[in-house]
Amino acid sequence: MIEFKEAAVVAPESGVPILHPTTLTLSEQRITIIGANGSGKSTLARLINGLALPVSGSVQVDGLDTRKHGALVRRKVGFLFTDPSAQLIMPTALEDVMLSLRRVVRTKSERVNAALAALEDIGLGDKGDVSVNALSGGQRQLLALAGVLTATPLVVVADEPTTLLDLRWKAHVGALLQALPIQLIEVTHDLEAATRAQRTLVIDEGSVVFDGSPVDAVAHYRDLMYRKTSESRS
Amino acid sequence: MTPTLGSFRPGASPLHRLPAWSKVLTLFIWAIVSMVITDPVTALGLCAAALLLLVSVLPSPKPTLKGLGFILVVAAMTAAYQVYRGYVAAGIDIAADLVGLFALSLAVTGSTSMNDMLDFAARLARPFRRILPPTIPGLMFAIMLRTIPEVANIMRESRDAAKARGIRRSPSALMIPTATRTVGFALDLGAALHARGIGDEARFDAPSARRTPLTAPAGTE
Repeated sequence: MIEFKEAAVVAPESGVPILHPTTLTLSEQRITIIGANGSGKSTLARLINGLALPVSGSVQVDGLDTRKHGALVRRKVGFLFTDPSAQLIMPTALEDVMLSLRRVVRTKSERVNAALAALEDIGLGDKGDVSVNALSGGQRQLLALAGVLTATPLVVVADEPTTLLDLRWKAHVGALLQALPIQLIEVTHDLEAATRAQRTLVIDEGSVVFDGSPVDAVAHYRDLMYRKTSESRS
Repeated sequence: MTPTLGSFRPGASPLHRLPAWSKVLTLFIWAIVSMVITDPVTALGLCAAALLLLVSVLPSPKPTLKGLGFILVVAAMTAAYQVYRGYVAAGIDIAADLVGLFALSLAVTGSTSMNDMLDFAARLARPFRRILPPTIPGLMFAIMLRTIPEVANIMRESRDAAKARGIRRSPSALMIPTATRTVGFALDLGAALHARGIGDEARFDAPSARRTPLTAPAGTE
């Protein structure tokens, strides 16, 4: 259960509001977040695992405040970034997954086996010793997901995880995310993917302007964007 | 690709089974011994032994031959200079030392995984654990290796972008975007470390942090 209580974020130097005070309870298993570039949806996603902190109000995950218990919250909330290149830290695939396991599995041989099993599960079983730089964009995103999942989070927050991928990898990564047995909160520009959820939030200019069924949310978002485009033309 | 990144190949050779510290120590002692001994026959023997060790690891043929080719040219030039000065024995000794040490270092990197090297680096830095938590030095080393090809890529893209806009031979058109995008990459990497809880784990490992834990992890003193 994720709870926003009047959580607000402003830009550090200019003081421009990025997210106006927002109160939300996110309990559905599949939630998508859509909105224009710069609308504040990534900030909202980052608030959930404490990568961004509210300047006022609070965000809680299972009753843990992201400000006071950041490290514990991040153990519960895995985060998948748009660009997997920055998410992968170690030089080879196996080593990167093993890094996520350091906290969970103490002995090295068990860690190797667990990491190999995780790579096998995600379909990268033969890529263990391959340099991260030699993997394709889709394979890198799979590897990033394997790294997130091996830390056994209760929630995965994905910030546009398929934006940089081609159609085939987009479908593959999308299907894998949908099959996760845990809560998934996905920020996306893919309006088709946005409808594969129980609830969709539309963010505009730092506020949640629609919160409800995915199909209605997409319709609302389209309307909003068309209206803004025609306003700026006239 | 940068040779240091792709040189490890998994295998079952005797060198693969040795722990990282013993291989680095051997390399160190080997370097001292080959510098101290100036007898050309012994030097050639050591060089041959190093080359055999390299072959035993079964390294990737192409980058290995390329590297050896390069060092052979350097060794030949050094030896030629010594022979020209009339020191034939010294020429043979220096050339054999160079090739031998290079071959042995390739054998070590080819048979040691990055993880083992990182563990070894972490152990070396253990005396400094009061100021540096044990997982940090290894991590710093890994991030450095990870960043080299990434920065090279940013540089290539910046150069192409400048070229596409008709700007050639302008250092600022290359360096400014490379520098700013490198900072951007570092910020993203920092966010990822944070999101994966990697810095948090290091903080818990630090002895100074163990005394005043914020969230009382298991095993608190």
